[in-house]
Amino acid sequence: MKVNKKQLAGLIIGIIGLIIPFFLNIEGLSYAGHVALGIFLLAAAFWMLEPVPIYATSVLVILLQILLLSKEGFIFTSVTESYIPDAYTAFIGTLANPIIILFLGGFVLADAAVKYNLDKNLTRILLRPFGSQPKFIVLGLMVVTGLLSAFMSNTATTAMMMTVIIPIIVQLDKADPLKIGLALSIPFAANIGGIATPIGTPPNAVVIGALSQQGINIPFGEWMALAVPLVVIALLFAWFLLIRMFKPDTDSISIDMSGKFNTSKNAIILYVAFGLTVLFWVTESFHGVKSAIIALVPVVFLTLTGVVTKEDIRKLPWEVLWLVAGGISLGISMKSTGLAEWIVGSIEWSAFGAITLLVVFSAVAVLMSNFLSNTVTATLLIPLAVSLATSGVAGEGFNLIIVSLVIGVSASMAMMLPISTPPNAIAMSTGTIETKDMAKAGISIGVFGIVLVVLYAIFYWPLMLN
Amino acid sequence: MLKGFQKADRKEVLSLINRTVDETPELQSLVVHFNPKDILFKEGDTLSYLYLLLDGTVSLSHKKEDLSSFEVLKLQPGHFIGIVAFNTGNNSLTTATSIEKIKTLRFGQDDFEKYLNQHPSLRSPLQQLMMSNMTERFKVNLELESRLHTLNHTLEEEGDELKEAYQQLEDSHQKLVHQEKMATLGELVAGFAHEVNNPASSLLRSSESLIANFLEHSDKNPLGQMFQLGLESAPLSSTEIRARMIQVQKRFPWVSERSLIRKLAQISDKGYEIIESVRKKIPVKSLVQQHEAGKFIHNIQLSSERIANLVKSLKSYSRQDQNEAEEVDIRNGINDTILVLSNRLKFLNLELDLKEIPKTQVKLGELNQVWTNIIVNACDVLPNGGALKIATKTEGEHAIIIEISDNGPGIPEQLIDRIFEPNFTTKNQGAKFGLGLGLAISNEIIRQHGGFIRVSNKKDGGAKFEILLPVKNS
Amino acid sequence: MDHQIYILVIEDELEVMDALIKDLEEFEQTFPIESANNTDEANLVVNQIYESGNEIGLILCDHVLPGENGVDFLISLESRKEFHKTRKVLVTGQAGLEDTVKAINNANLNHYIPKPWTKEGFQKVVVNQLTDFIIDKKYNPLKFMATLDAVRLAEAMRNNTLTDN
Repeated sequence: MKVNKKQLAGLIIGIIGLIIPFFLNIEGLSYAGHVALGIFLLAAAFWMLEPVPIYATSVLVILLQILLLSKEGFIFTSVTESYIPDAYTAFIGTLANPIIILFLGGFVLADAAVKYNLDKNLTRILLRPFGSQPKFIVLGLMVVTGLLSAFMSNTATTAMMMTVIIPIIVQLDKADPLKIGLALSIPFAANIGGIATPIGTPPNAVVIGALSQQGINIPFGEWMALAVPLVVIALLFAWFLLIRMFKPDTDSISIDMSGKFNTSKNAIILYVAFGLTVLFWVTESFHGVKSAIIALVPVVFLTLTGVVTKEDIRKLPWEVLWLVAGGISLGISMKSTGLAEWIVGSIEWSAFGAITLLVVFSAVAVLMSNFLSNTVTATLLIPLAVSLATSGVAGEGFNLIIVSLVIGVSASMAMMLPISTPPNAIAMSTGTIETKDMAKAGISIGVFGIVLVVLYAIFYWPLMLN
Repeated sequence: MLKGFQKADRKEVLSLINRTVDETPELQSLVVHFNPKDILFKEGDTLSYLYLLLDGTVSLSHKKEDLSSFEVLKLQPGHFIGIVAFNTGNNSLTTATSIEKIKTLRFGQDDFEKYLNQHPSLRSPLQQLMMSNMTERFKVNLELESRLHTLNHTLEEEGDELKEAYQQLEDSHQKLVHQEKMATLGELVAGFAHEVNNPASSLLRSSESLIANFLEHSDKNPLGQMFQLGLESAPLSSTEIRARMIQVQKRFPWVSERSLIRKLAQISDKGYEIIESVRKKIPVKSLVQQHEAGKFIHNIQLSSERIANLVKSLKSYSRQDQNEAEEVDIRNGINDTILVLSNRLKFLNLELDLKEIPKTQVKLGELNQVWTNIIVNACDVLPNGGALKIATKTEGEHAIIIEISDNGPGIPEQLIDRIFEPNFTTKNQGAKFGLGLGLAISNEIIRQHGGFIRVSNKKDGGAKFEILLPVKNS
Repeated sequence: MDHQIYILVIEDELEVMDALIKDLEEFEQTFPIESANNTDEANLVVNQIYESGNEIGLILCDHVLPGENGVDFLISLESRKEFHKTRKVLVTGQAGLEDTVKAINNANLNHYIPKPWTKEGFQKVVVNQLTDFIIDKKYNPLKFMATLDAVRLAEAMRNNTLTDN
């Protein structure tokens, strides 16, 4: 394997980060906290500079915590005054955390939807009402992309939508700015759409996972009630921005909307399973059955009926589940060893107002996730915010749920660079856009996103949560 | 004893028998008369009577396999009827039919011996008669055998003649077909050559004008110079290009685009000097593009020249306009043939040793067929890189020898005498579009020119064709 | 340098080689081009490419060549595992039916371009073949979308279970 300088630096910093706390004696931090700090530093360096794949870092984090911090590990075999070690099952259990199971259900449904072309056919039908005017086509594409990416991965949705828009781009005049607008509309809508549901994108899972550690359950429908209004505004803004920035030259474009729904028995089973699962998820607040439990139903049903086969299961993106589990696992020991508290305590938070803090968290999340994986950003920031909120030093208005949402949503608002998100990378690789186009539009959306998130955090979310 | 029993004797014997019958009332009852076309017995019957024909004629006939019957023998008075079947007890092999009114003596199974014993006067004549009957039948048989033999012989001779005639017919048919093919091909070629000539010359002319236009005002500036260099550049082999690409990377380290490096590799050092001296003012890409433009126009020129040359040789090669022999240099025909076959000869080592030979009266188009036949045959057996040699020389003052030899496997000794036979081939027939239509035709063409063709295997391997043609002047 | 996917062109006539490479120019940014005038040289080039850790995605090969002919060369490559997925195209005016059938059966020939070719048709074949290669090899298609068939690459991505991270 070739290792570049950045990766080499990550490897060295990570290993030094792991070892150094053992040789330090930081005041106010327990010995277990030192160990946890080492693991945290290693994880941060590895996740940010990626000397190894980020999912590998995640399982490494779980293993290190078991070896160094669990009751069954080498160091803390018994309860001490400063640290009550967790059982190793607490760390391993994150791999089957309810949010992981919820994601699994989402994966199975999305995978089957692709297999039976449900996503593509749905796209064709949903696009029809948008006519042939370029600006409405763009709106239609964004709405459909947003909707699909709420239930499927943003990246898979983008790839599918590319097969729809590339034929349009090809028939356009070479200099038509609409090309750029079209190419950007898809990844932007996919990134934003992912915010809409708990299963839309992994940062949402990190938020829900972290909150569940605090004993707070956010039902599927409630998340949507909190997120969808924001998503709608953000989508409309992105649309408006794109058609203003890249004014179409043509009056009308045509999309090939032909295609037939697969009507095989298996496909119909899938449509029913998809529809019913989403229905029960959204209505969780009414019937009270936890979304993770509902998520198991399509998994069981689709495998029982053979709609999803062994090969399909092998193809599922298990590494994403590990990634989220690693993040949740890290949160456990940061809290139990007092590391989070110590970090919070080491900064004079009270000097900032609650609103300033929300703005800072949102801005940092957007900035970080422009360069890092969205999930990693959320994973690294949320333990901090959770401690801050639970310790109460940040004062009124710095609600645990709200700050978690701010970080989770902001992490998805990063779309400035091709490397910001996989959907951006796909759009960039079509060769129709230049980095400066993406940066111009992406920065505007990022800034707007911060403002929007903070406004919601101040006015709308408190309203909903009470 | 039997030798003396001639026809005259038979008459005597018969009249003796007739008399005896007339005199002996007992014998009267044996006399039976038949009307014309009466059947005495049929083929396959078991005979219970033996007849002695006293008067009239009886025909013996035999059925053939196709059930028609033919006459085997005509019996005259004095002949026994059914003698063979009666004596052997076998079924009769013939059918006996009376031709006119006949008179016979009919003996039953046991009567014959009885009457012989009762009438001693009859014994000797009847026995003589019987013996002569047998002898005569044997004689007929001998005659038949000998006739059959002669007949067979004649038949064989006629068959041979027929075969020969057929072969000649086949030969002339093939030759006609071949001539027809060549005529059609010739017409096609002539038409095709004419059609191709126009675009080819247009290509040539246009590229020249293009060059002139390009250079008119710019032959002194660097772009024009680059174009000129491109025009003069010879295409490089890929090995050379690869080697020069490495040099280019050293000389122009600031160029990173691979396709630009490749284009630079095809520019001469003089071009590099131009590029280095003006690259601050003119982008390298523009300079290289000019060179490339020159190179492509040069390619057009080379290619259109090639087309024009091919067409020219194809035209003179087929020579369909020529019905009469003309006084020509045979070597021109050989050169045309080589050009036309260049596709096949591309990967052979061709050695030409065309020594000065006098002009002679030939049909060049037909001779070209001969060269083609022999060369194509050689190409078929030679591997890539095989050697083919074509040589001409004079033999005395009145003969020319053309020698075509290769270093292939040679011709198997058992076949070497047969290769000029019509229809002889070792290849799958019909596999190739025939420019070469057999060595038999080549042989015929050379023969018609008053020469001969000879093939042999060289000592050091490979086949050698030698063609000798007489020098004819008008 | 990154792992490179080469296009190899084998053609003995230098003018024709010039024309082929000119039509491939647009691909060279993504797929470096190597050329050879005969199969001996081609074998040399092939080995060099693989020794430096790179590979060949597409071979465009003339049939009538000095020495070994194109079809036999492609067949000889087929016996080496590393070339099984390499796309093989004959560019020729002279391969007969028999040779072509042989190439299809024994060398896994992917396409046949008769001479003379048109730039558009030629480039379409190259795009299609290289797109097949990238999809077949399951390479990350992003690098190739601008050069190759973006729709098919996106479709392949869609079927490959993509994730956010």
